[in-house]
Amino acid sequence: MVNVRLEKVTKRFGEVIAADRITLTIKHGEFFTFLGPSGCGKTTTLRIIAGLEYPDEGKLYFDDKDVTDEPPYKRNTGMVFQNYALWPHMTVFDNIAYGLKIRKIPKEEIRRKVLEVLDLVKLRGLENRYPTQLSGGQQQRVALARALVIEPAVLLLDEPLSNLDAKLRIEMREEIKRIQKKLGITTIYVTHDQEEAMVISDRIAVMNRGKIMQVDEPKELYRRPKNLFVASFLGRCTILKGIVKEIEENLVTLTVGNMVLKGIIPSRDIKLREGDKAVIVLRPQDFEIEETRKNVNRIEGVVEWISFVGPYSELRVKSNGLKILVNVDPDFQVKIGDKIAAYISYDRTIVFPLGEAEAAYKEEIKV
Amino acid sequence: MNLRGLRRELDKLTVVQLLIALFILIFFLVTPIASLLVRAFVSDEGFTLKYFESTYTDPNMISPNPSLTVIQILERYKFTILPNGTRVLVPLKTIYIGGVGPDFGYILNSIFVSASVMILASIIGLIAAFIMARYEFPGKNIFRVLLIIPLLATPFVNAYVIGKVLGPGGLLNYILKNVLKITDYTIVIVGLPAVILVQTLSFFPIVYMNTLSSLINIDPSLEEQAENMGAHGFKLFRTVTLPLALPGLAAGATLVFIFSMEDLGAPIGLSGAFGDGLHTHLMSFYIYDEFRKVLSLEQVHASVYALAVTMLLIASVAFLMIKKYVSLKQYAMLSKGGRWSPRVRRPGKKGLAAIYVFLILLVIISSFPQIGVIILATTDWATSGIVPTKITLEHLASLVTKSDVTRAITNSLTYAGVAVIIIVLTGTSAAYIVARRRIPGKDLLDTLATIPIAIPGIIVAVGYIVFFTLLAKTLYGTPLESLGYMFDPFVNPGLLLMFSYSVRRLPFTARAVFAGLQQTHVSLEEAAENLGASRAKTFFTIVMPLIAANIISGAILSFVYSMSEVSTSVILGSRNPSQGPITFLMSQVIYASAAVGTVSIAAALGVLLMTLQIIAISVSNYILKQRVAFLGV
Repeated sequence: MVNVRLEKVTKRFGEVIAADRITLTIKHGEFFTFLGPSGCGKTTTLRIIAGLEYPDEGKLYFDDKDVTDEPPYKRNTGMVFQNYALWPHMTVFDNIAYGLKIRKIPKEEIRRKVLEVLDLVKLRGLENRYPTQLSGGQQQRVALARALVIEPAVLLLDEPLSNLDAKLRIEMREEIKRIQKKLGITTIYVTHDQEEAMVISDRIAVMNRGKIMQVDEPKELYRRPKNLFVASFLGRCTILKGIVKEIEENLVTLTVGNMVLKGIIPSRDIKLREGDKAVIVLRPQDFEIEETRKNVNRIEGVVEWISFVGPYSELRVKSNGLKILVNVDPDFQVKIGDKIAAYISYDRTIVFPLGEAEAAYKEEIKV
Repeated sequence: MNLRGLRRELDKLTVVQLLIALFILIFFLVTPIASLLVRAFVSDEGFTLKYFESTYTDPNMISPNPSLTVIQILERYKFTILPNGTRVLVPLKTIYIGGVGPDFGYILNSIFVSASVMILASIIGLIAAFIMARYEFPGKNIFRVLLIIPLLATPFVNAYVIGKVLGPGGLLNYILKNVLKITDYTIVIVGLPAVILVQTLSFFPIVYMNTLSSLINIDPSLEEQAENMGAHGFKLFRTVTLPLALPGLAAGATLVFIFSMEDLGAPIGLSGAFGDGLHTHLMSFYIYDEFRKVLSLEQVHASVYALAVTMLLIASVAFLMIKKYVSLKQYAMLSKGGRWSPRVRRPGKKGLAAIYVFLILLVIISSFPQIGVIILATTDWATSGIVPTKITLEHLASLVTKSDVTRAITNSLTYAGVAVIIIVLTGTSAAYIVARRRIPGKDLLDTLATIPIAIPGIIVAVGYIVFFTLLAKTLYGTPLESLGYMFDPFVNPGLLLMFSYSVRRLPFTARAVFAGLQQTHVSLEEAAENLGASRAKTFFTIVMPLIAANIISGAILSFVYSMSEVSTSVILGSRNPSQGPITFLMSQVIYASAAVGTVSIAAALGVLLMTLQIIAISVSNYILKQRVAFLGV
C-alpha cells in the first residue's frame, strides 16, 4: 500500500495538452477516480502513473520515492486495461501467473497464489481455458486477477467496464468495490461514466482539457460543484444567464430575462458582486410541481416538449424565451401547450460567475 | 522528444535491434549505392557531369534518328542464321515485327518498354481484378489459382519458350500456316515488342493482385451509397470504384514499371531463342553485358555508372511519385472496423460469356510460358522442333546428377538460407522499432527497410562490385586482409550474394512483421511491462509468440524470392562461376555459354523453382489463413 503524489505533472501530445500541471495526492487504500469526457486526459494521467507514458514536466511520487523516470516494470503497479489485454497465446492460469514468474516465485507458491486469486474473482475451474473461450465478464475478471495477484502497490483500472453490457457493468462495479475493500489496496480508476464514478469512488477528480476541475467526495461534487463544468458534467441541467442584483450572505438575487430568481454560491472561493454577469444551474430533478415549502423560485411557462423516460418524464418548459428542463412524475397529466408552474428551492439554484473560463465551456455543456 | 525520453526509449533490446538493422541496411544497401553515385559523379578533378554528358550524347544511348519501323513485310528469300549456327532460307513472305525498330537507343528503349509494359499490364490486371472482385461465376476459384501462375518465376526460360513458340519455325506459325491455313506469311516477333510481350505476360499479376486487394477492401456501403444516389454501371465504376481502387492499381503499376526496367530475364531469354537483336538494346542488358566482360573494376567505363545512376533515378522518381500519390489517396479505408463481405454479383448470360472468353484467353496465353518450361524439362522439345516427340526424365535427373547443376542448387540453398536468417533478424528488428518505438528518424528506417523492393537489383549489384572491390583493396596488405578477401566480389561473390539477397528480399519479411504488429494491440505488451517484465522479456515472451506466424510466412516468401533472384545473381555470379547460384547457371545455359547441356537443364531448374514457390505460397497462405497480396508497395 502506498500513497501516490503528482506534482505539476504535464504531458503534451503535439499541440494538445493531455495533462496540465496536475497536482494531487491519492491516499493509502483510497478508491480514487479520474472522471471526465473523452479526451480530457484522464487515461493519460493513469498511464503516467503506470509509467507507460512519461510526463514532459512535473514529478510523480510513490510515498516519498520519486518514480518519475522509473520504467513501468519497476513500479509494481497492477493495471487493468480497457481491452483487458489478455495474451491470447496463454491460458488463464499462465496469464495470471506471468507477473509471478517474472518475480521468480517458486512454482508451488505461484500455483497457490493463482488459485487463491481465482477464488477471489470467482473464476476457479477456468484456469486451463484460453482467453478467447471466455465471456467478456470473465475476461474482465482474469484481467483483474492478473493485476491483483502480484500484490501491487497501486491498482490501476482504465475504463475497465466500458466493454461490458449495462447489467454486467453494475454487477462488476460492485465486485470491484468489494475486492478493493477486502484487500484495502490503493486504487485509481478512470471512467467517463459519472454514475459509475459516484457509486464506486471514495474521491473523484473531475478533469477537462487536461486540467483538474475539482477533487472531492462524490456527494460534495454533486451538491457543491466548484465550477460550471463540474456542475454541468454531473447529470443533466439547464443553464441560464443572468445579472446579479443583490447579495446577502450566501444568497444571491439575480434577474434572468424578466424573472427574478434567488440562488446560492456553492463555494467560498467564488466571489460575486452586484452587477456581475452570472449563470444559474438548474437540475431537472430538483423541480417540484407543487409549492410545498418556503424559499423556492417559481418558474412559469408553456410545455413545449415531453420525453417519457420511464422513471420520470422530462418536460421542456418555455418561459419568457428561456427553455428549462423539468422532471415530473411519469403519471403527471400534462400535454404539449399546457401552462405549468414549477418550483425549485434556493439552495438547489446554483450560481456561478460568467467568467471567461466558463464561456469557453459553453459549447461543450449545451447551454 | 527530449534527451531524457530518448534515453528511456533506448533500452538494451532496442539498441541491439537498432544496431542490427542499421548495420545491415547501411553497410549492404546505403553505402554500396552511395559508392556507385560517387563513381558516377566524381572524377580525378572532382565533381563532374561529364560521364552523364558523354552517355546522353552517345547515339547508342539516346538515338538522334530513332528507327520507328515496327513492322517489316519481307517478300523474298533470305538466308538467316539460327541460334544453333545453321544457315537456313527464310520462307517467301515474312511479317517481321520488331526486327529493325522501334529503336530509340538503350535509355529511351528501356523507358519505352517499361511504360508500355506498365500500361498493358495495368489494363489487363485491372480488368481481371474487377472481374474477380465483383462477379461470382462457376469456376471462379480455379481462375483465382490460374491467374497467379505467371508469377511463378522461371527466369530466362519463360522468355525462351515464348521465343520458341513465336519464332519463325515455332508452334504458332505452324498452326497459322499449316493447320489453320489462315495466312502464308510467317510472323516473327523479336526486339522490343517481344520484350514487351514477355514482360507483360509475367508482370500483369502484380497489378492484378494489388488492385484485387484494394477492390476487396472497399467498404461496400460506399458503392451502395453512390447507387442510392443514382450512379450505376460505368459511371459508378469511374466515379467511385476506380478512385477507391487506385492506390492498389498505382502501386502495382509502379512495381511493374521498375521490375520491367531492371529485368534481365526477357533480354537474355530472347537472346537464347533468337540470338542477339534489338531485345538486348536495353539499359539493364547493357550494364549486365559490361560487367560480364570485365575482369577488374578498372576496366569498367565510368559511363556505365552514369547509366546505372540514370536507371536508379528513373526508378526512384517513379517510386517517390507513387508513394506521395498513394498516401494522398489512402482514403479508401476511412470506414475502418467491421469485416464486410465484398459486393459480388452474378453476371448475365452475355456478361458471363465475355468473362469466360477474357479469362480463358488470358490464362492460356499468360501461363503457356510456365507450361512450356515444364514441357521443356520433361520432354525432348528443346531439340525436336515444333512439338515434343517423347517424354524423358533425363533433364530432371540432371538436377541431382550433373555436378555443375547440383553445385548451383547447393549454392542457392546456402545463400538463401543464410539470407533468411539475416532477413528475419533485420526485418523483425526494423519493423518492431518502426511500429513500437518513439525514436527520431525511425521513418528513415521504415523507408530503408521497404525501399529495396523498388531499387533495381542491377544497381545493387553494381554498387556491391564498386564498394566491396574498393573495401577489399583497402584491406589487402593490412592485418584484416582475410576479411577483404572474403568480401572481394571478384573472388568471393557468394558471400556478397547472401547479403544482396538479405537486403533485396528484406521487405517481404519486414512488411509481414509490421502487419502482424499492427494487428497486435500494444496494450498486450504494456500489460507485460506493467507486471514487471523488461522490454526484452516482453519482446521474447509476448511479442514473438504473437507474431510468429507473420515472421514465418514472411521468411518463406523471402526465401523463395531469394532462390529466384536474378539481377545480382547473374552479375555477381559471373565474377566466379563456381559460386554462381541457380539463376546464374540458367542464364549461362540459355545464353549458350555454359559448359553443361541444353536449355532443358535450365527448364528443369525452372521447374524446381516453381515447385518451391508453389509450396511456399501455399504454406504461407495456410499459416496466415488469408490470401495476401505478396507483392506490393
